[in-house]
Amino acid sequence: MVASRSGIMMVLIVAMVAISAIFFVFPEGINAQKEEKTFVTHSGGVVKTTGEILDPLYTSATVEFDPMEFLRDFNYGRVTQLSDGTTVREFTIIANDDEIMEVSPGIFYNVWTFNGTVPGPTIRATEGDIVRVKFINNGEKEHTIHFHGIHPAGMDGVFEPVGGNGGQFVYEFESGPVGVHPYHCHVMPLEEHIVHGLYGVFIVDPKEERPPADEMVMVLNGLDTDFDTENNFYAANTIPFYYQHHPIQINTDELIRVYVVNMVEFDPINNFHLHGNLYKYYPTGTDIVPSFYTDMITLSQTERGIMEFEYEYPGKYLFHAHKVEFSEKGWVGIFMVHENKNAVESEGYGT
Amino acid sequence: MELSNKSSKVKMIASGIIPFAFLVIMIAYIFGPGSDLLDLGIPLPEITMEKVDFVDSEIQVTVRNTGPMPVEVAMADINDRIQPAAVEPDRYLDRYETALVRIPFEWNEAEPYIIGITVEDGTRFEKEIEAAAPALEPTLELAVFFAIIGTYVGIIPVMIGLLWLPFIKKIKKSKYHFFLALTAGLLLFLGIDSIEEAIQVSDESLADSFNGTLLIATITILSFLGLHYTGEKLIKKSETSRLTKPVAIALMIAIGIGLHNFGEGLAIGAAVGLGSIAFSTFLIVGFALHNTTEGIAIASPMSREKTVIWKLAAMGMIAGAPAIFGAWVGGFVYSPFSSVIFLSIGAGAIFQVIMTILKWIRVEGDKNLSSAAVVSGFAIGMLIMYATSILV
Repeated sequence: MVASRSGIMMVLIVAMVAISAIFFVFPEGINAQKEEKTFVTHSGGVVKTTGEILDPLYTSATVEFDPMEFLRDFNYGRVTQLSDGTTVREFTIIANDDEIMEVSPGIFYNVWTFNGTVPGPTIRATEGDIVRVKFINNGEKEHTIHFHGIHPAGMDGVFEPVGGNGGQFVYEFESGPVGVHPYHCHVMPLEEHIVHGLYGVFIVDPKEERPPADEMVMVLNGLDTDFDTENNFYAANTIPFYYQHHPIQINTDELIRVYVVNMVEFDPINNFHLHGNLYKYYPTGTDIVPSFYTDMITLSQTERGIMEFEYEYPGKYLFHAHKVEFSEKGWVGIFMVHENKNAVESEGYGT
Repeated sequence: MELSNKSSKVKMIASGIIPFAFLVIMIAYIFGPGSDLLDLGIPLPEITMEKVDFVDSEIQVTVRNTGPMPVEVAMADINDRIQPAAVEPDRYLDRYETALVRIPFEWNEAEPYIIGITVEDGTRFEKEIEAAAPALEPTLELAVFFAIIGTYVGIIPVMIGLLWLPFIKKIKKSKYHFFLALTAGLLLFLGIDSIEEAIQVSDESLADSFNGTLLIATITILSFLGLHYTGEKLIKKSETSRLTKPVAIALMIAIGIGLHNFGEGLAIGAAVGLGSIAFSTFLIVGFALHNTTEGIAIASPMSREKTVIWKLAAMGMIAGAPAIFGAWVGGFVYSPFSSVIFLSIGAGAIFQVIMTILKWIRVEGDKNLSSAAVVSGFAIGMLIMYATSILV
């Protein structure tokens, strides 16, 4: 009697173990039928799924930072004049290091920001202007701003760390030389401060203005979201694949001027290849005559320059890193070139 | 009288419940809401890619959330290049929940691939596949192929091993003990081998949170206890029924070996399924050689019995045929978790068989298991298995 009862117990235990094991053995389980969705792959293949689509390319991005707005956003500062007529441009830049941003659909990353964005604001002055940057550090760590360019030692943002939680410092210097320069935090460990996003672009225009153009700024950067000192994403202006999904609208026969700054860390080089066209390239932008006429430049860390080109034929043109790894991890975009109505009309008047 | 009986019963129940109540209060205090006693650092997300299937123009990955908190699957990549993908049923995974990530990709056969999955905090997990091979589809042809392989690996070698029976029958008691001990040695090796295999699978494909080694230990011991209980029942029954004691023991050995061979079949099926052709061929040859010794293990106790051919054949089938089922399971519905479980059950079964044999030797006369025949038999059994295992 006792034996048979313990026998039943044993059977029960074994059955329980077996049933609970089924959950692990057949993980897929049985799912209720759901509505089928369709998505198209890179190569044009069509996939039907009842699940969700993971796609940094084709779903409309809900990212918080708008690369399209950043592209043509130039900050000239609050302008006043000294008694001798010198222009003074005042900027306020606030550092933060606790923001979590959706950097690619579904992926959240702790960005360290100047004025809330990565990259920080593109600030712009004319050669000889006095630039006054009020720097407020609202982060928890020490930060600075180190401007590339020419300025006195005490304004270099290296030996003057600004404490967090409201620390302040005013950088003041005469802007120069002409060109496109990066600015970034210069607190050790330096790489950490840069890759988290504490950088931006500082453009110094020549006194004699460059010819009018559709101007834009592209900061080539990478995001190491898992902190293994390798970038998980690459982009022009932070958000991977953004300009591929949202092409940049430009016109035929219109001068396009792109200020390109390479802020990629961990990889020795980055590059910029333009399709269906070549551009005039001004390294660092310090020279007024172009050095190259090419469709491909290679940039090391913080190398930068100005590209100028015009499209003759309308349509879609790719631009991307020709280091294909980078483009397949997000550094790829499209220029959507439209027929220039004004140009056509003026041509019509002429003939 | 009745009253005091009742109150003593109440007392007994209370004395059982009170410590339990205290236990509940203590756990509530430690883990309950608002408790900051246990703040052991930052939980990190963790997912495990348990299975990768290469199907037509698509790579399918079964991922399981094996971390302490829920995760969202955010992105898939192949060889560190981002690819659009679909995740079914959805991207949100609770603890231990699984999802199927389907990545459209024109993969090439026999090439290595690294599959990456990134979760919402940007952490990327990867799994390396040594050579892409098309996922096996359960066709009749393939099922037949696995059945043939299973027959070659399981049934035929065991049957060949059984052919030693007439030889073992003719020898003296001490030599008979030698063969029984030899069997135990062979089996001990097989048991250790199963556990090693299980640990390997758990290290490669099972998340840490499953506590692979402890899982293996638990399942092995449970299967040992379960079979021990049933085995003793069977032997006890043999005293009153037509089933004789040696046959009962041989039957237990056959069942134990059968469970082990299921694990071997599983390994072969999985190797074919995962595209390791060279490895699977190796396994087939190695296991086939190996398994002839299993026939000796069954033959040894049977030799003290008037042997009937059909009984022997049945034993051979019980021991060998599970290799076929193992190959089917391994090839068609492989999961690392089921592999670990089956291999552990096999190990437990084998240890139980060893115990049965040792008991049998003691009943037969060698009370201390210390005769030269037993010790040398055990040692040689281990050595033979080691020698044949080099082939696997």
